[in-house]
Amino acid sequence: MSITRSAIFASLVTAVAAGALQAQEFKIGVVVELSGDTATGGNVAKRGYDLWAMAVNEGGGIQIGKKKYPVKLFYGDAQSNPSQGAAAAERLITQEHVDLMFGPYTSSVANAVGPVVEKYKIPMINGSAESPKVWEPKFKFVFGSIPPVNFTGAACIDTLAHLTPAPKTAVVFGSNDTFSSSTANAFNSSLLKAGIKVLKFNIVPEGQDLTPLLSAMKGLRPDIICFAGHDEELINLVKDLHQIDYTPKALLMHYGVTEPAFAEALKGDANQVFGGAVWTETTKTASKILWKDSQAYAAASLKAFKVAADYTQGGCSAAGIAFQVALQKINAVPPLSEAKRTELVKALEAVDVETFYGRIKFATEGEFFHANAGISSLTIQIQNGVVKSVGPAKVAEAQVLYPMTPWAQR
Amino acid sequence: MELLPQALVDGIMLGAIYIAIAIAFSLVFGVLHVIDFAVGEWIMLGAFAGFYLNLWAKIDPFLTLPIVFVVFCGVGYLLQPVIQRVLSGHKGNPLLMALVFTFGLGMIFRGTAQTFFGFYSHSIPSHFSNGSFFFEKGAFFLTISSVRLAGLIYAGLITLILNYLLKYTDFGLAVRALAQNKEAAGLMGVNNRRTNKVLYALYTGITAMTGVLIGIIISVNTKMGAEYSIFAFFVVVLAGMGYLAGVPAAALLLGIIQSMFLVYLDPGWTLLAVFGILYLILVVSPTGLFGKGWV
Repeated sequence: MSITRSAIFASLVTAVAAGALQAQEFKIGVVVELSGDTATGGNVAKRGYDLWAMAVNEGGGIQIGKKKYPVKLFYGDAQSNPSQGAAAAERLITQEHVDLMFGPYTSSVANAVGPVVEKYKIPMINGSAESPKVWEPKFKFVFGSIPPVNFTGAACIDTLAHLTPAPKTAVVFGSNDTFSSSTANAFNSSLLKAGIKVLKFNIVPEGQDLTPLLSAMKGLRPDIICFAGHDEELINLVKDLHQIDYTPKALLMHYGVTEPAFAEALKGDANQVFGGAVWTETTKTASKILWKDSQAYAAASLKAFKVAADYTQGGCSAAGIAFQVALQKINAVPPLSEAKRTELVKALEAVDVETFYGRIKFATEGEFFHANAGISSLTIQIQNGVVKSVGPAKVAEAQVLYPMTPWAQR
Repeated sequence: MELLPQALVDGIMLGAIYIAIAIAFSLVFGVLHVIDFAVGEWIMLGAFAGFYLNLWAKIDPFLTLPIVFVVFCGVGYLLQPVIQRVLSGHKGNPLLMALVFTFGLGMIFRGTAQTFFGFYSHSIPSHFSNGSFFFEKGAFFLTISSVRLAGLIYAGLITLILNYLLKYTDFGLAVRALAQNKEAAGLMGVNNRRTNKVLYALYTGITAMTGVLIGIIISVNTKMGAEYSIFAFFVVVLAGMGYLAGVPAAALLLGIIQSMFLVYLDPGWTLLAVFGILYLILVVSPTGLFGKGWV
């Protein structure tokens, strides 16, 4: 009998001790699209969050005072569906009792998750979502490491507008989702500002075969074709253009050009396609936290996943660094109380740090409240299968290849 | 007006893809009475088979079509008895059970494919992808992509071969007999089980080959199936459930409606228009365009 009692007591002590030990780590909820239509990007985001957590834990955890606290990521699959994303966030907060949250890949899901984290007062950093609509509600607890796509779109159009011979006409198509329609609108307004005539502007259903639309567009002979969509939609559009044998002077697409899969799927046809980004593996940065520069991060990514990193993945890892810096600043020890989480929001607003990704400095006022205002947008171009920065001029690492070589001559 | 020839031709090319997706699907429904919601996943698996065959063997994907057909015929032949078992149950509603079974099968295929093939999109390169025919007269112009033309020829060939098989062979006679009356066909000596297995094998083989074609024309990814399942179902319903001869017309109509909306009206409304028209036709004629489908 006494042996049984001792065993029960020992088990209880072990369980309590294990519970106490468990509490000594930062629990971070991550809602991303692990399945469904946008699973490709969702998994890119996941790689970014995972790489940060791996790097932090390899070093023993986040240093708070004299002690290090590991981080543990709890994933919720949004299934590429905003309502599922909101449900996953609710589950992570109420059942897993996460201290912090990382945001989804798509703006649509981020928009659905935002109100949930705001309700429970859980600080969340979106490492990927770019639509300006993410910032419209001005949530107190929501931050973002990538600037709104308005800036990215404007930077790309500015680069194209200054090319010789100057493009005079353009068509703009955008897929019908929150991010893509915002991107298409950004392209459209920037083209108008640059004095380039927009011959056609259409928001099209996701996944639609666009050949009839493109064939009709061929008669307009636009100098620039701008397209906003996701991974396979970009691949399909390039294939469609090749099939109808129309090569514009410039083809600008966002998001997905920087994903290695784009160049891999299209081979030679991917060359000379323009895209937008805020970071590439060769962006000049210097940091004292986790990775010393872009190249070091890119090497770590390649080692961990055998896949080259793009700016979405980088943005997700940078989101982790922002949390890390803010937690250290307020000496936050897990688990975080509501008061501490509110204090963390203030600390995040004060973050101003150089990372491998560039500067992280969240806007504390204005239209894009809590978006990262520390980094600038880049125009990139695929050259020989490699992503190269070609604009703005001060950060360009390669000459722009323009006009595009006709498909038949590649 | 000058865009009309192009819009029509593009609609026909689009319709050809839908014919290739839906024709065998309709045949299986007409005989086995199975609404195979895994149709899109058979397309996806076929597309991946074509992609990897092209990657490893370095041969034009059109040449891999017979290999893909034979392999997937084998898979379908082995799988059909399982579906037959679900269909021939005496408890509950076997037709509903078969529908749920194929829906589940599709989800298993998709999940497994995501695990093994990953999330990225791929393209199957072909020599046919590189060319197009261009005609211009006055304000009118017409571009015909050679690979889409190949798709049209493929859809035409599949339709003709199936038509020949059904009308001029003993197998076709057995299939038609089974579609009309299973019991009577059995009494007349038709081997129900074997005919069903061969029919399902033909369906999976043709659908997988269509997947390769779609991989060449469009792209390949593990998420592609759902969209094609919807279009296959749309075409079969529009043609009249189980009425094979109505499939080409229904598929071409779907392609042309999409093309016209994309060119002349707001592209954002395309899918809404397509489904709006489907509902309208079904209200007027619940048995499909030709009034010959199942009610």
